[in-house]
Amino acid sequence: MKIAAAVALAAALAAPVAQPATPRPIWARNNPLPHGLNRGDAFPTLALPSADDGHPVSIAEFRGKKLIVNIFASW
Amino acid sequence: MPVWHAALQPYEKAGQVAVVAIVQDQHPDRARLFLQWKQIGWPVLADQLDLLNLDTVPLTVAVDEYGIVRFTELPMSAAKTIGETFITQTYPKPASTPAIDRGLFQTVRSWTQAIGIFSQDVQRHPTDGAAEFRLGSAYRARYDSPDRRATDFADAERHWSRALEIDPNRYIWRRRVQQYGPRMAEPYAFFDWIRDARREIAARGETAIALAVEPGDSEFETPDPRLAAARVPAAEPDPRGRIRRDAGEFIGVESTAVPAEPAPGDTVRVHVTFRPNARTKAHWNNSVDPLVYWLAPPAGVRVSARAFVAPNAGTEVSQETRTVEYDVTLPHAANGRVTLPGYALYYVCEDVNGVCMYRRHDITVTIPVTR
Repeated sequence: MKIAAAVALAAALAAPVAQPATPRPIWARNNPLPHGLNRGDAFPTLALPSADDGHPVSIAEFRGKKLIVNIFASW
Repeated sequence: MPVWHAALQPYEKAGQVAVVAIVQDQHPDRARLFLQWKQIGWPVLADQLDLLNLDTVPLTVAVDEYGIVRFTELPMSAAKTIGETFITQTYPKPASTPAIDRGLFQTVRSWTQAIGIFSQDVQRHPTDGAAEFRLGSAYRARYDSPDRRATDFADAERHWSRALEIDPNRYIWRRRVQQYGPRMAEPYAFFDWIRDARREIAARGETAIALAVEPGDSEFETPDPRLAAARVPAAEPDPRGRIRRDAGEFIGVESTAVPAEPAPGDTVRVHVTFRPNARTKAHWNNSVDPLVYWLAPPAGVRVSARAFVAPNAGTEVSQETRTVEYDVTLPHAANGRVTLPGYALYYVCEDVNGVCMYRRHDITVTIPVTR
């Protein structure tokens, strides 16, 4: 993340968000998170911070249009 | 990635497809720099905690208009035919679609809070490697933030290592551990590309995206050429200890060993960090010799070098964090802890136009050894 990497995320976290869709934080589930991505399943809808400004974005917000998700690391 | 960018551009312009990048870097701004270099304008989402719980990267995934995954791990060769195989296809509408999960954002307000919650999760699920990895990544994120604590980096390493112990097949986790670890027999070029990227971006007349944290020596296959050019002293620079001491009034020093819990005989990467003290408005004086770090290892402890230099910045004075890294091979007989005495010599000024001085900082690196 850019300057003050964590701060950007923390700032985004502190920002008001839309009506919450799930009442509990994802890491507090009793079951482990699903492992990997499977054909035929819904792409995980969890919000991730934009690397540009920390604003939370979910892949679900792209519904209505075909989407290519490129998951990578710069290393 | 440029292959996909070229193949998808016509469809993006026609409004038939959207493209999103999700980056697994601990520091997502490095991925933003990469995309700037490649002139790719996709929106970038950061998954430094590996919330997607993936084994490896890169992955190109096709998601239909209802949010359903239609293809995973698309090979580069699929880019040429993606129009026919996916973009123009019709898919059935599912009976229901999951709601947006904003759990992370509605609950956590700081890395400290995240660390507290992740720690509880690790205690509740001691065999969940993903939970360990998230906790490690949160520690490292706090280490890079203004809320940092000196032990955060070591804590990050410990939890990343535990994650990998639980599931050794997770490539992303393995790379995160290696990123800061001892130099490998075949060093991996994690971020050597950054030098080319900055040069080419500047040649285009653009300003390269600034990185919050510059990669350290362990993250390069080819060490920083400025280090090779620096004049590293062959003899101990202050053998009689006559230089006046700085106990942190001007420069704070921290050290972290990676891995955090080595065994006898292991090789450990030591990261030593030097931070100008904001309280005293300390600045590096860059118009003189750069910081020198001299190491005096005890008998039986092998180090990659005895003397190191942390290069000056390009300006007259500066306040950046400087690091020195080296490998230490622990004795097979080591037990309890190994200590590495040494010291740094540096020129530092009080404020931009303040008094400048030459100081010595005594440094003892302690490495706990687990049998």
